[in-house]
Amino acid sequence: MEWNFDPFSNNSFNHYGNNPINASHSAGGIIQRTQSPKVWGGTTLGVVYQDGVMLAADTLGSWGQLARYRKEERLYPVGNFTAIAYAGDMSDFQYTKHMLDSLMIKEYYINDDHVLSTPHVYEYLSRVMYHRRTKMDPLWNTFIVGGYNNGERFLGYVDLLGTTYQSSAISTGLGAYYAQPILRKAVEGREGLLTEAEAIELLNSCMRVLFYRDCKVINSIQRAKVTAAGVEITEPYSVSSEWGFGEGVRGFGSQKQ
Amino acid sequence: MVSRVNVPKGGFNFDNYQRNLILQQNGYSMPKATKTGTTITGMKFKNGVILGADTRATGEALVQDKNCPKIHRMAPNIFCCGAGTAADADKVTDMVASQLELHRLATGRESRVTTVLATLSQYLFRYQGHVAAALVLGGVDVDGPQLFSVAPHGSTDKLPYLSQGSGSLSAIAVFEERWRENMERDEAIELVKDSIKAGIFNDMGSGFNIDLVVIEKGRADFYRNIETPCPTIEKIGNYKFQPGTTAVLSESFRNFVTITEGDAMDIS
Amino acid sequence: MDMNSFLPIQVPWTPQTATSAPKQAPSFFPYADNAGTVAAISGTDFAVLAADTRQSAGGNYLINTRYQPKMFKLSNGSVFGTSGFYGDATTFLNRINQRLEWYRHAHDKEMSTPALAQLISILLYSRRFFPYYVRVLLGGLDLEGRGVVYGYDSIGSYEACLSRAVGSGGKMIQPFLDNQIERKTQTGILRAPLTLDKTKTIMRDAFTSAAERDIYTGDYVEIFTITAQGVNVEKFDLRKD
Repeated sequence: MEWNFDPFSNNSFNHYGNNPINASHSAGGIIQRTQSPKVWGGTTLGVVYQDGVMLAADTLGSWGQLARYRKEERLYPVGNFTAIAYAGDMSDFQYTKHMLDSLMIKEYYINDDHVLSTPHVYEYLSRVMYHRRTKMDPLWNTFIVGGYNNGERFLGYVDLLGTTYQSSAISTGLGAYYAQPILRKAVEGREGLLTEAEAIELLNSCMRVLFYRDCKVINSIQRAKVTAAGVEITEPYSVSSEWGFGEGVRGFGSQKQ
Repeated sequence: MVSRVNVPKGGFNFDNYQRNLILQQNGYSMPKATKTGTTITGMKFKNGVILGADTRATGEALVQDKNCPKIHRMAPNIFCCGAGTAADADKVTDMVASQLELHRLATGRESRVTTVLATLSQYLFRYQGHVAAALVLGGVDVDGPQLFSVAPHGSTDKLPYLSQGSGSLSAIAVFEERWRENMERDEAIELVKDSIKAGIFNDMGSGFNIDLVVIEKGRADFYRNIETPCPTIEKIGNYKFQPGTTAVLSESFRNFVTITEGDAMDIS
Repeated sequence: MDMNSFLPIQVPWTPQTATSAPKQAPSFFPYADNAGTVAAISGTDFAVLAADTRQSAGGNYLINTRYQPKMFKLSNGSVFGTSGFYGDATTFLNRINQRLEWYRHAHDKEMSTPALAQLISILLYSRRFFPYYVRVLLGGLDLEGRGVVYGYDSIGSYEACLSRAVGSGGKMIQPFLDNQIERKTQTGILRAPLTLDKTKTIMRDAFTSAAERDIYTGDYVEIFTITAQGVNVEKFDLRKD
């Protein structure tokens, strides 16, 4: 089946259902924020490896079917040992970033050097998400939270409903269909045994598949790793891609020319 | 001659379609069809084509068939995997297979994959998606190894590796990662098995065993249940019922034949 | 494409799909069904609760994770199991734990299982018109040390029962438990009380069977055994497809 590429249609073939024209901004005088997402980030991936946790995302912010922002950074450090990756609405994510930054400052006690660890950030975030869904005024995001605290790896998922789960490999968006099988095959049964080089290769490989198959992924990706040394987020980079399989494909049926 | 009897012409009848929609809108539900759920895949390799399928058939959340055959033999040199509504996939492949058999008998020639492709896609297009079969078609004929897919509305694809069904996304990711041109038979079989396994383990609509067919020039090997990636776990309890488990509340004995005195039956 | 829009008259047989009205952007729907199965059996001096550990995304064929526990230890050896919407489940669990802590501070003791059963009912009913989409089971020992299991609907109606199975595979397990535990259809034999081992065996087989036929049940089954000695947790494999 074909996509419908008209960004202003009401057509049901918009898989992401994020057509900006459909947005309604208020209902009955009640202040409501995101009722449907506008600028949208797609797939994110997360995996646990030997030294900690690694996240990956491409850098595209879509506006409807338009590839609007091509350098949108979708990985963000929260404190020194936590990183989050978002999919979903960009403005809601910016609000969340601000909220988490304020939280980290508020909860930092210089005298006993107390900072929030990843499970704290995760719990806080999931409570906020659930609270907003209960107000029927959600933050239209899906987050992967990764962290490394006192030798403990943490990788968790939270979405706009407040659904949570933790796993050694997590992916959101179409990545849940395309990348999750690859991640699970590499990680299941050998959690925490993956070397850093293997983890990088794994995430690159998944992003390559997504670049082939997900219309809303571009070949500009970032990785975050969280280890005992802290959070490190790479600059956007590209992976190699191969389109040679099309050489032999000509026409329909048995045509060869 | 005009017949007084209306002889049905065959084919589907949509007369009640609108009525059924109104019934549905008023809360009457239509009977549910069994869907295959399904991961089906196909790929070209050095000497031919390999098709693979899982064996789970589902109705909503319930498994209807744990070992459902989804690879259909269209001709000795052509096979077809079916996904979507199980009945549609079965019937449409059976029907085309029968046409091909007659065609071979009439012409005395080997069937061609494009014949099957055209027949299937024209038939599915005619019914505008109401015959809900998604197919992966592969075979080797005079034009060499060929692989196609047909979507429920009749559109076709021609690619060196393909997948259909609810697990198609998991399966295609395996091909995108590992498929190469001109793979050897053994590694190609492993790759197709892995693509089906990706569907089996990650897509809840797919599961149980792997079926496989390897089609080469002048030869097709069909492997039913080539692998059982997650075998059924044995029961640890014993659930045999002892005689008397069901209580006998009352007994009555009635004669339906009245035995009267008379000559003994001759049983010599 | 609605074919009737450019046909002069409505052709009776024109195939239309039931959803031919133009689709709006998806409006926000505050529930998901993360599915899974929970079952509980009460014995003479024990209770056994079990749940599979698969969490699925709801409305599609995706597995979120193969291991996300659905059962939680509460006060005094009570165990709470839930399936349905996991966001509601975690919230509901937090609220129970908060109330238990208040109870500890106020009364300087742990809450008993029958009291906890009533508390859960009250908390469920507190959201009568925006319900927690959770199917809850509570197991434990009563004040005399007998095994008890409480079953609920999602808005707080509850009753103590011998055996109960809820969630996506609950409809498959319940008749099996009715037969094997309550022996409703084995009227000709004596009701000897079940041993703990036999109960756990029945529970494991119930889940291996449900995993065969319910696509949302699978991966692992966790079995919680509650006796006067405390709570024991075991984990066994289920199908992963």
